[in-house]
Amino acid sequence: MDIEFSFIVIDDSELDCFVTQKFLELSDKNLVIKTFQNAQHALEVIHENPNRNSLVPTIILLDLQMPFMSGFKFVEEFEKLSPEIKENYMIIILTILSPVSSPGDIYRIFNYGAVKSIVEKPLTKEKLLSLLNHVRLNPLT
Amino acid sequence: MSGKIKILYLDDEPENLIGFKASLRLNYQILTAVNVPQAIICLNDHPEIKVVFCDQRMPGKTGVDFFEEIRVSHPLPVRILLTAYTDVESIIDAINKGNIFRFVKKPWIEADIIWAVDEANKFYLANSMLSVKNDELQKAYNELNKFAYSVSHDIRGPLSGILGAINLAREIDDIEEMKEMLFLMEKSVKKLDTYVLSMHDYYSLQRGELKITEIDFNKVTDELKTIFIVNAKINNVAFNVNVKQDEIFRSDYAPLRLILNNLLSNAFKYQDRNSNNKSVEVVVEVHNSVATIYVKDTGIGILGSHVSEIFNLFYRSNSLEVGSGFGLYNVKGALLKLNGEIEVQSILHQGTTFKVTIPSI
Repeated sequence: MDIEFSFIVIDDSELDCFVTQKFLELSDKNLVIKTFQNAQHALEVIHENPNRNSLVPTIILLDLQMPFMSGFKFVEEFEKLSPEIKENYMIIILTILSPVSSPGDIYRIFNYGAVKSIVEKPLTKEKLLSLLNHVRLNPLT
Repeated sequence: MSGKIKILYLDDEPENLIGFKASLRLNYQILTAVNVPQAIICLNDHPEIKVVFCDQRMPGKTGVDFFEEIRVSHPLPVRILLTAYTDVESIIDAINKGNIFRFVKKPWIEADIIWAVDEANKFYLANSMLSVKNDELQKAYNELNKFAYSVSHDIRGPLSGILGAINLAREIDDIEEMKEMLFLMEKSVKKLDTYVLSMHDYYSLQRGELKITEIDFNKVTDELKTIFIVNAKINNVAFNVNVKQDEIFRSDYAPLRLILNNLLSNAFKYQDRNSNNKSVEVVVEVHNSVATIYVKDTGIGILGSHVSEIFNLFYRSNSLEVGSGFGLYNVKGALLKLNGEIEVQSILHQGTTFKVTIPSI
């Protein structure tokens, strides 16, 4: 089977990056997965190296609460990229939800076109499968 | 002069002012005004005025009018009305509009004034204590908010990571992968543990009282050396300590140790892993009852725009290393307790030097 998606995982926790990556690999051996612990680095790579060669859509799994550059800031900066770059990506928020992180912030992030869905940590096999189904049903335009 | 209570007395008759000043100037520092504009200027120039006396009957504005005005513009000083003229209307006005603290009847006797000022002063102090307490409460609330945020990120974050790893473990068969994951899980657990420990530091700093002892910096640094020498060996960091202390230095050991411990742990933590020339240096000099401590590293440095923020609670300028955002905030708290100061000099990719000065107590 051809490669269906490529993934970018952005999470400041090394363990979370590892877990997410392994879950993805378990679901499909042929995925291309990049992990970043610093959202700024991820943004630079996306900016300098858009998916020109591959026509495979890329899913960004993004943590929200990160030092240095938060997930919110990342989405803001991502939206400033050119449409040719953006059209190849979709962002899925992967974060812990708590009554503390104000729900308003979370909802606001869905105003950005690139943000498609949200998954609550911890990640499980079931959550990942339903996420992949969701993505297949709502392909990038 | 500064020890005396500052009083302003407004009266249109200069002889009254002179009489008041003459009999009370030994007890209080007295400022006088013959009309309202003068009184306002005086209040603006001397914000430390605690009590304002005013005559009720003046041409133009009455005492009550004046009080009604300054009640809004200068709410802090306590207002006392002096009057010979005591009809019920003006008393009601004085209380309702002027919100006065006391009436003193003219002609006054010294004991009345002294008693009124004493009471007014107590009232003033109680009010200012209240506003200090309010500020403290506000600060405590703000920290609680940050704390709530941090609980979700720094406690639930690692926990959800570990939970995710446990979920994943059910799917993994490869022992090597499992070991790699256990190693990462251990790091997350250690991070949580460090977080809980520094939270304990934080609360003991907030609540504890000073315990002053004589400090021998050689002993303090020897103790820290035994802790950090292992780290220095493992990570190949040159670690030098240099203490010059010829005089007695008195301070509280616990916050002092907390400061050094945090600065040193940062100095080791934020080393450039790829550098071949890694070092941490501690210099302590005690001179003229002041201890000057330098903690110098050849690490990754701090971005100029982040320097002003590093002492804030839960601020983290870097995602490379595990940090709780507690460390330097606790250092600042400890320094506040010891009446000390801290300066930072940092060059990105070259290193950081913290300079701490602490007076002997």
